[in-house]
Amino acid sequence: MTNFVLPLVFGAFFGFSLNKAGLTKYNKIVNVFRFTDMAVLKFMMTALVVAMIGLYALRGLGLLTFPAIPATYIVGNLVGGLIFGVGMSLSGY
Amino acid sequence: MKFVMNYIRKEEWSPYVAGILLGLVGIATVWASNALLGASGAFENLAGMIGKAIAPKVFDNIYFNFIMPPGITWGVILLIGVFFGGMIGAATSGTLMWGKKGAANSDAQWKRIFGPQVWKRWVLAFIGAIILEYAAGIAGGCTSGLAISGGMLLAPAAFLFIMGMFASGILTALIIYRKRY
Repeated sequence: MTNFVLPLVFGAFFGFSLNKAGLTKYNKIVNVFRFTDMAVLKFMMTALVVAMIGLYALRGLGLLTFPAIPATYIVGNLVGGLIFGVGMSLSGY
Repeated sequence: MKFVMNYIRKEEWSPYVAGILLGLVGIATVWASNALLGASGAFENLAGMIGKAIAPKVFDNIYFNFIMPPGITWGVILLIGVFFGGMIGAATSGTLMWGKKGAANSDAQWKRIFGPQVWKRWVLAFIGAIILEYAAGIAGGCTSGLAISGGMLLAPAAFLFIMGMFASGILTALIIYRKRY
């Protein structure tokens, strides 16, 4: 049961925060690449900093273990990112 | 309490507040489910499932057997949650466009750049989404699964991905917007 409820709830909060930050809109996404609206960066970096502090503090206290960290393969990550940016600024997702 | 309710009804939050909320959700997912908030993987899980049902031989490869196992995974259910969460967000601020006229092409800036035709929006969204999903497959995640979730675990991959994403995103925006940049 919790296998279905938990991701649904987390997903709902995730979608909710994306919507409220305006990241579901084309103009928000593309304007960060035009340097006219930095909301995407502000949003992403705030989330990163909050989660980083929380996760590393909780791990330090021994309250949680990390899941598998996304694999690093320099060329793949970079090339993937380069192609991703094209799609992102084309359709605004 | 009234202040909180009023803030929830606001269409656009401060990105810092929304970011804090996402950060807390990120911590909660790792803590409760030992998983990451990935969005693009779910499409590959579903594609693998459909593919295995239609053409099992073609989909019988390393990628769909080991890297992205098909089926209704944790990520697929998360994606369903994201869909409804986004709708709840729009509904609370009264901007839900479900079934309304002009919902398919509602962005003013998009119309100014590409034109008001709905089919253009659909075609570009389709092409853009293919590019996104393909790139996410190469890199091992998308903005949420790799850049944000990987970044909060301080994965080097996430920061390489963000670098690439912004470099080509800025370049593409430059090409599309040219003088209007």
